[in-house]
Amino acid sequence: MSDLKIKVTDLKKSYGENHVLKGIDLNIGANEVVVIIGPSGSGKSTLLRCLNRLEEPTSGQIIVDNVDIGDPKADINRVRQDIGMVFQHFNLFNNLSVADNITLAPMELKGFNKAGAEAQAKKLLASVGLEDKFDAKVQSLSGGQKQRVAIARALAMKPDIMLFDEPTSALDPEMVGDVLEVMKDLAKEGMTMVVVTHEMGFAKEVADRVIFVDQGKILERGTPEEVFEHPKNERLQDFLNKVLNV
Amino acid sequence: MKKWLLKSLGLVVCLIGFIGFIKPAETAQAAEKTYTIGTDVTFPPFEFANDQNEYVGIDMDLIRAIAKDQGFKVQIKPLGFNAAVQALDSGQIDGVIAGMSITDERKAKFDFSKSYFQSGVVMAVAQNSKITKLSQLKGQRVAVKTGTAGADYANSIKAKYGFKVVTFDDSNNMYQDVTTGNSVACFEDSPVMQYGIKQGTKLKIVTEPAEKGDYGFAVKKGQNKELLAAFNTGLTNLRANGQYKKITEKYLGATNTKKTESRTFIGLIKQNGSALWDGFKETIWLTLVSIIFATIFGIIVGLLGVAPNKFSKGLSSTLIYIFRGMPLLVLALFIYTGVPSLTGNKIPAFVAGIITLTLNEGAYTAAFVKGGIEAVDNGQMEAARSLGLPYGKSMRKVILPQGIRIMVPSFINQFIITLKDTSILSVIGLLELTQTGKIIIARNLEGFKVWTIIALTYLVLITLLTWLSNWVQRRMNA
Repeated sequence: MSDLKIKVTDLKKSYGENHVLKGIDLNIGANEVVVIIGPSGSGKSTLLRCLNRLEEPTSGQIIVDNVDIGDPKADINRVRQDIGMVFQHFNLFNNLSVADNITLAPMELKGFNKAGAEAQAKKLLASVGLEDKFDAKVQSLSGGQKQRVAIARALAMKPDIMLFDEPTSALDPEMVGDVLEVMKDLAKEGMTMVVVTHEMGFAKEVADRVIFVDQGKILERGTPEEVFEHPKNERLQDFLNKVLNV
Repeated sequence: MKKWLLKSLGLVVCLIGFIGFIKPAETAQAAEKTYTIGTDVTFPPFEFANDQNEYVGIDMDLIRAIAKDQGFKVQIKPLGFNAAVQALDSGQIDGVIAGMSITDERKAKFDFSKSYFQSGVVMAVAQNSKITKLSQLKGQRVAVKTGTAGADYANSIKAKYGFKVVTFDDSNNMYQDVTTGNSVACFEDSPVMQYGIKQGTKLKIVTEPAEKGDYGFAVKKGQNKELLAAFNTGLTNLRANGQYKKITEKYLGATNTKKTESRTFIGLIKQNGSALWDGFKETIWLTLVSIIFATIFGIIVGLLGVAPNKFSKGLSSTLIYIFRGMPLLVLALFIYTGVPSLTGNKIPAFVAGIITLTLNEGAYTAAFVKGGIEAVDNGQMEAARSLGLPYGKSMRKVILPQGIRIMVPSFINQFIITLKDTSILSVIGLLELTQTGKIIIARNLEGFKVWTIIALTYLVLITLLTWLSNWVQRRMNA
């Protein structure tokens, strides 16, 4: 494995009496694609959201690019610039056009001028197959198009890590393929990716490693082959039975 | 975050300070032999604003005539009765002439002149009424005005004569109740009643004055002795040369002098045009300044309420709770009369009015600003933050533009409410539309017509404000 990008040590998260994460240890290397699977409510989304501190961990340590992001002195806004995130419900800025969604952060944070930011936005839109939507209103896009714009928006900050939180769960089935294609391309280009998903096909094809989370713990980890073909944990076997034999 | 909080607090303080400069304080009078005399805002026939908006009435004509006779000058300050008495007590003015009865209680604090007028409570009935005696009131309904000697008198004898008392807030409504026949009689101070009849109220006085009382001119105890002496001498001179009689006749004379004021709608508007116009301007001015400050205050408090900081959230909720929970009328009176008695510094009515509206309307604004921001999907903030945008930038670029869209109808609504609420400030004596109406009615007793004019004026104003707001809203959505 190459350089370590993310190192999670004994991460715990609870909401009052509800212990969502009960001690997670996880290392993610550069250019690695890690897919997190598990039943609903298992804590996999919470784990992902802790990685850029959208959720405040209750205890434990998360180091991203050698920065301890739990440290009060850490500049979390700076760290987040290098961690792109894609949400289940896209969360495109409803008050802005497609172009402005993509150019906002680079212009505000990276000193891009309008022309530069727009040129970059056009390139990114082309890479997700939406070059004709540059001037479109967010409201006029389909779900699949919105999610691809959201990916372009995240990429505009040139992150070296991308977090995907169930990026296809809110899409109509015929839209899923387009989004997964874009994600596969990213993986091929060597992006470090952490993906929470129910798309087992994508996991098998693209993941370097698959992690099975249930009840706030990592119960099994390994290559897609190990996890899908030779699951050892009983709950994982159970889970795979349910999702693969529908 | 703390810096941001401090900045906002500083801004609020500056705003409140700034209001103080909007209306320059009246410059103090220091010329020799000029006395500052406090009086009531409106107490016809003793003091009231005429159709030229000049203060006239028995008290006013008398003090001016005495000043002329004795060779000094007066500056009249219509402060309102209670404020005038307080100002005299604290030495801010030299004397008070305000139809003030000479009582032992008041003598403890003030030195009074000789009685310049004797008043008493009389009973008045409708012109065609057969009632002439108190004993005829058995089982009947009698109208009084709250807080007057007439009300005290009626209540003290109602058991004896077996009548029921209904209470009204102003003379005009009380008279109306008798002329329409709901009540058979009313009790009122004799000069006030005489003046009302002179102004065309269709009532007649049927009893001799009871509970007689003397009105006196007052100075602070032990001070302004020469002023008091001059008043007494002047009064004696005026009584001797017939001027006193002329003045009282002018306001109380039994002859119903052919009304000089036209009583048609057009006539009333023409007569009171300049007073109405001044009131109109004051209302607009109050509304605009209040809207600006209330909006700024509301947005700041609303933003504090959504900031990720426990202290600012608590502060915001507390401010909203207090100022939304307090009736506007109580808040206005509290700030205008309560705060100065705590701090010792007088607040001009206009400033007190603006502060009142800013706090009250601002609290409502804060509540819907908070609600508007909270109505924006949480994912918008998360997406902005995940890109590395700091909280303030995410708020400005992403959340607020969406929140404001949600808030626009509430803003328009609040502007209209603010405009209407300026009318409540008439209680602290601001000469806005409503107070102007009250003063005009106190003079001519044309309640129905004047209130109709005032009501229509508010409707016109609100229509204009609504058009303006809708136009802005259309521009925003375009």
